[in-house]
Amino acid sequence: MWLNCRLLSLPKIAGYPWKVAGSLQTSSRAYSVIPPPRDREEEEMMHRMLRVDHAGEYGANRIYAGQMAVLGRSRTGPLIQQMWDQEKKHLAKFNEILAENRVRPTALLPLWNLAGFALGASTALLGKEGAMACTVAVEESISEHYNSQIRALMESDPERYTELLQMIKEFRDDEMDHHDTGLEHDAESLPGYWLLKNAIQLGCKAAIYVSQRV
Amino acid sequence: MAALLRGLRAGRLLRGLPSVVAAPASTNQQCSSLRRSFHCAALRLQDESKSDKSSASSSSSSSSSTTHHEHYQAHSSHQDTEAASQQDPDPNSSDREQDEEYETEEQLQAQILAAALEFVPLYGWSMEAIAAGAESLGLSSASTGMFPNGSGDLVLHFISQCNSKLTEILAEQHNQVQLGQAERKKTADFLRDAVETRLRMYIPYIETWPQAMSILLLPHNIPDSLKHLSTMVDDIWYYAGDRSTDMNWYTKRAVLTGLYNTTELVMLQDSSPDFKDTWAFLDNRIQDVVNMATTAKQMQSTGEAVAQGLMGAAVTLKNLTGLNQKR
Repeated sequence: MWLNCRLLSLPKIAGYPWKVAGSLQTSSRAYSVIPPPRDREEEEMMHRMLRVDHAGEYGANRIYAGQMAVLGRSRTGPLIQQMWDQEKKHLAKFNEILAENRVRPTALLPLWNLAGFALGASTALLGKEGAMACTVAVEESISEHYNSQIRALMESDPERYTELLQMIKEFRDDEMDHHDTGLEHDAESLPGYWLLKNAIQLGCKAAIYVSQRV
Repeated sequence: MAALLRGLRAGRLLRGLPSVVAAPASTNQQCSSLRRSFHCAALRLQDESKSDKSSASSSSSSSSSTTHHEHYQAHSSHQDTEAASQQDPDPNSSDREQDEEYETEEQLQAQILAAALEFVPLYGWSMEAIAAGAESLGLSSASTGMFPNGSGDLVLHFISQCNSKLTEILAEQHNQVQLGQAERKKTADFLRDAVETRLRMYIPYIETWPQAMSILLLPHNIPDSLKHLSTMVDDIWYYAGDRSTDMNWYTKRAVLTGLYNTTELVMLQDSSPDFKDTWAFLDNRIQDVVNMATTAKQMQSTGEAVAQGLMGAAVTLKNLTGLNQKR
């Protein structure tokens, strides 16, 4: 009886204990984001997914670096820097997950390093609209890719992959924000926008396909 | 008379062998029933040989065979509870025994190969060693039919056993460091100790190891041996503390693979006491790697300094010529 009274009075003491208890409740699992694999097949599937996501974030990082190298001191510099910082956070998270789960990174990383920087720099040379068009194309590809991963995870076992789904949804929302930012800043006013956009998206699809396998 | 009966039964068994061995493309059900019949036959032959032995031989050998038998029965009864939970549509009455054998098939193979390792110094890495190993467990030497890639299976089993032992040792050391009971080793020392520990496991078989290495180089064994090598190198680096997620992941593993392979080759030709020449070679190679890494780092920082210097010179030039002013 006395204990019940004590427990009832706990929320009034401070928000702190209940907040901690609440977060402990939802993350009472022993792992952080990726559940320990049930079998070889699931491990393969999970590693492939993480590998390609890591490669994607790495490539996006390099694209923004290329754009900053050209437009860093212009008016759009701060905007690109802001988007780049968010991508850096994504990459750091994936690095953490890869190290924790002993996932092999894709062997094509040096290629994505060069290609990403070259793509960012060359589209930035077309001016602010070029850089924004590149951003729109790339972010659209990445969002589509994350969406298909979310669909696959939801189809297989949403309960098991709750944390992973939450993380991918958050990243996908960030990428959609970047996409919308690009559109807001006159991406479509670039001459040859449709051509550039489709070319870049084709390249992204090829990169995703290859990174899953190598 | 008993020998004639045994020969007849062995003949019947051998005639059943091609159908067992040549059924890789059949469905699971067919394959499993064939395997079960094979195991049943092997078990029957084992029982007969036991009864023959116990009737004809001295008490000591019969007691050893009964202890083998007991060990086997204890093992099968242990698997009984697991087998009982399995669903099997076969209505055969002696099926329970066959089910237990089926559940322990991989363990049976592992047991035979483990027993065969004792005979490797005598027969080399070959089918004879496996046959001798099977016989030492009280099974018929026809059990070698279970290993179509006999010597390859034996070597790969030994290698994966060594890798598991190494992982256990490394995990134990890791725990000790986490608990604060041991000091964290420097990377070079850690790699050196890990490679030495792993290569020392070859010492009992060092005479026949060249044969084993050549077996591993056979085309059908290469994928498996590469897989074992890469998992071992990955484990060593993981416990050494490597958490890289870029090209370093690949370069580190490539370096360690080269280190391990060259040291293994040196060990084969080493005749110094306790292989101290091999360990000296390993020390020198690790020192080379460390030197290379230091040099690479120095080159990188020099390069960065030079680049900054050039940028500074370019800006100065632009200032001097007045190109930097906004007009």
